[in-house]
Amino acid sequence: MAIKITAIMIVLLLAGLPMMIPLLLAAFYGFYELFNGFSKMDFMVQQMLAGIRPASLIAVPMFILAAEIMTRGQSANRLIDMVMKFIGHVRGGLAVSTATACTLFGAVSGSTQATVVAVGSPLRPRMLKAGYKDSFVLALIINASDIAFLIPPSIGMIIYGVISSTSISELFIAGVGPGLLLMVLFSAYSMIYATIKKVPTEPKATWSERLDAARKAIWPLGFPVIIIGGIYGGIFSPTEAAAACVFYALVLEIAVFRSLKLIDIYQIAKSTGLITAVVFILVGAGAAFSWVISFAQIPQEILGAIGITEMGPKAVLGVISVSFFIGCMFVDPIVVILVLVPIFAPVVDAVGLDPVLVGTIITLQVAIGSATPPFGCDIFTAIAVFKRPYADVVRGILPFTIILAAVSVALIFFPQIALFARDLAFR
Amino acid sequence: QADSWKYAFEESLTEVQGVYATKFKEEIEKNSDNEIQLFPYGTLGESADLMEQTQAGILQFVDQSPGFTGALIPEAQVFFVPYLLPTDQKHLARFFRESKAINNDFKDLYAEQGLELLQMFPEGEVAMTTKEPVNSCEDLNEVKFRVMTNPLLVEAYKAFGATPTPLPWGEVYGSLQTNIIQGQENPTFYLYSTKLYEVTDYITYTGHSNFTTAVMANKEFFDGLSDADKKIVQDAAKAAFEHIVVYQDGLAQQELKKIKETKPSMTVTVLSEEQRSCFKDAAGDVEAKFIEMTGDRGTAILKQFKADLAATAQ
Amino acid sequence: MTDKAHKSMLPGFLGQIDTLIGRAEAVILAAGVLLMALNTVGNVIGRFVFQYSFFFTEEVNRILIIMITFAGIGYAARHGRHIRMSAIYDALPIRTRKVMMILITVITALTMFALCYFSIGYILKVAASGRVLPALQIPVYLIFLWVPVGFAVTGIQYALTTVKNLLEKDVYLSTHMLEGYDDNEIEV
Ligand code: NA
Ligand code: NA
Repeated sequence: MAIKITAIMIVLLLAGLPMMIPLLLAAFYGFYELFNGFSKMDFMVQQMLAGIRPASLIAVPMFILAAEIMTRGQSANRLIDMVMKFIGHVRGGLAVSTATACTLFGAVSGSTQATVVAVGSPLRPRMLKAGYKDSFVLALIINASDIAFLIPPSIGMIIYGVISSTSISELFIAGVGPGLLLMVLFSAYSMIYATIKKVPTEPKATWSERLDAARKAIWPLGFPVIIIGGIYGGIFSPTEAAAACVFYALVLEIAVFRSLKLIDIYQIAKSTGLITAVVFILVGAGAAFSWVISFAQIPQEILGAIGITEMGPKAVLGVISVSFFIGCMFVDPIVVILVLVPIFAPVVDAVGLDPVLVGTIITLQVAIGSATPPFGCDIFTAIAVFKRPYADVVRGILPFTIILAAVSVALIFFPQIALFARDLAFR
Repeated sequence: QADSWKYAFEESLTEVQGVYATKFKEEIEKNSDNEIQLFPYGTLGESADLMEQTQAGILQFVDQSPGFTGALIPEAQVFFVPYLLPTDQKHLARFFRESKAINNDFKDLYAEQGLELLQMFPEGEVAMTTKEPVNSCEDLNEVKFRVMTNPLLVEAYKAFGATPTPLPWGEVYGSLQTNIIQGQENPTFYLYSTKLYEVTDYITYTGHSNFTTAVMANKEFFDGLSDADKKIVQDAAKAAFEHIVVYQDGLAQQELKKIKETKPSMTVTVLSEEQRSCFKDAAGDVEAKFIEMTGDRGTAILKQFKADLAATAQ
Repeated sequence: MTDKAHKSMLPGFLGQIDTLIGRAEAVILAAGVLLMALNTVGNVIGRFVFQYSFFFTEEVNRILIIMITFAGIGYAARHGRHIRMSAIYDALPIRTRKVMMILITVITALTMFALCYFSIGYILKVAASGRVLPALQIPVYLIFLWVPVGFAVTGIQYALTTVKNLLEKDVYLSTHMLEGYDDNEIEV
């Protein structure tokens, strides 16, 4: 059944059907086989609805809405203008700023999809204007947003910690090292790219120009205050911070800057709803698909066949990495963690692997899976938000995938990248 | 011929429901050719999904706590009436073995929903974990306390004086860490396994509740079994119950010790009878609310509960 | 909101209904998103200013997300905004693309109609169980009523696109959209 399901999905996908259809028809076939006919098909609908139920998903439309208001109004431009006055003369400076902004925003919002929209919407036009190619810009945004998984707070790490009985505080600290390493490597690649492609720089700004830009950005600087201060100050959950940003953005753009009218807000809300729907229907279809995989015990079957119980620690880590990478291509990361972690738990225990290291590697793979073709939530989000065809969105991804793969291999052979800070704090 | 049966539960394989399920599986597979496939938390959906899947016969067995069954069987919320169940483990075990309310009345209520109730069992005394010490109801004043979205549980914490705050489970750890909420309740083993002790400083035992769960089968499936197979299933459920009773003996103490070893600064308090008085006073309001919500059927269950508890008190 | 964005391809009365559905979808999307923001922020204010947490916040958001998703898939179908992997398709000659697009829209429409049928079955099951939302105490099946409607509207949109592709010379991605990613497309 596993082979047939995969075949159905790949053929339909390549034929250019709307992406929900390959997932749905593969699940359809699974239900038909499992229950000898159509009698239990209504549970496909149950699982689609279960897929879009998690409360944490609400942060996605909220951050999309806030970002669109900021981008169509003036807030985003004022913020970017300020940053440009400080780093515009550095080659690749704008790209490095984008990578940094994605990391910071991802760190606090905890949602990679929200990061793609919130950071990508305002920065992509600016990078295009500055002379970067769209394929590079899209790939940078998608991949840098995935650092959000590794830097705390991270929903994926919380779920892993809970079901594997691993200290969540230790996981959080262990994620910081690989997260920052990725940010540095992405930044380095950006600077090399900008140098090779001769992306033009801006003349160095004077301090009075910088001060002027900073003054204009004073109101929009309230956004990081709301998000970082609000979440770490115990006022909001990340989802609530997103909604608070929506209202702050409304007040700024309508009352203070007077750049948007109520009819604009209607248009923005409508397009936010549209983007949300096309991404969430895929999340729902993915949930129905993953239910079939889980119910038919396909992961157990495959792992049994490759003989994981006879492997050494490094080989086990390799299998775990590949499994999570493949799993996250098709299905929401949280579901993948819930399904696969219990299956690997006995093996991890038997070969004596550090569960914190395993958790960090899993989180990294989850991040890679969401940004790497053929499937990935962040790819879907970028397609929906930036209205670019699939091929354009994934064209520039390869160098980033190489960096991510290099870091995953490094993590297996040099676990200290993750465990150094943990040992310092807890051992 | 040999069948493969599916059994889903709400916790991980190493937590109490998982230990029960593992023993149940062992017994079935030892005494028959049938095989049990276990599906831990989240692998086939959330509680409401699992219940529907069991009712439809997709799953043969499910472990679901009455707190989640409340939307389907309102009377099941009786387990949230504070101070109804005793804290004495031996008394509890006798109660679950012999209670008419559970083994007859609840069995009928579950049967109405197409479910064969096989066994109810306690998962341990519920403890409050908080950021500040709790010695009386006053200490809960203005404390945002996370509870499951269950009307009666919400009512209980209101009566205790806290600000009950419903949060999805995934957000509890982060919200405690950032002080959006300042407390939550769960059995001791769960405090350790889910690492909630990392983000709270006080564990308080008020004795107000014991977390209860229920294992059931799809009724049509169960009724269709041969008498021999029915007996194997029922015996496995009982054997797993006795296994859990032994397993739980001292479990809370062990888990508490692990917490203290990992976090020596953790303060553990068992409230005295006197300190518990205001919580016990509040229990009356909650009982009244339960009766208001469930009417005559609820009243009857409550009455039978109290009679059974008295009968098993010794 | 331009009239062009919502104008139906159907003639007469049916066309009017279709146009009306398109407008309704747009309003639901916008209202759903704004209500979600209001509901979420309202809970923060309740918790901090009045020391009172709204028990229904999460459930209301859940209702809204179902509403947005299932009103949105129809709207997305109308405007050709569903995500697809078109790399291979785009490289094919126009006649093959035309045949493929007819197949794609037929398969998609059929899948949507099937899911519409199954979702009605699911709703009946939930309704029969009497399950209610724990905080709001309203029957759960009510919040799912959008689901079959969304599937049906989406299915109809794809079926209409099939017809449009059969009748006209160009290749249509939806009833409103020619294939290809046009930067000057109508803002939706
Ligand atoms: Na994060
Ligand atoms: Na992927």
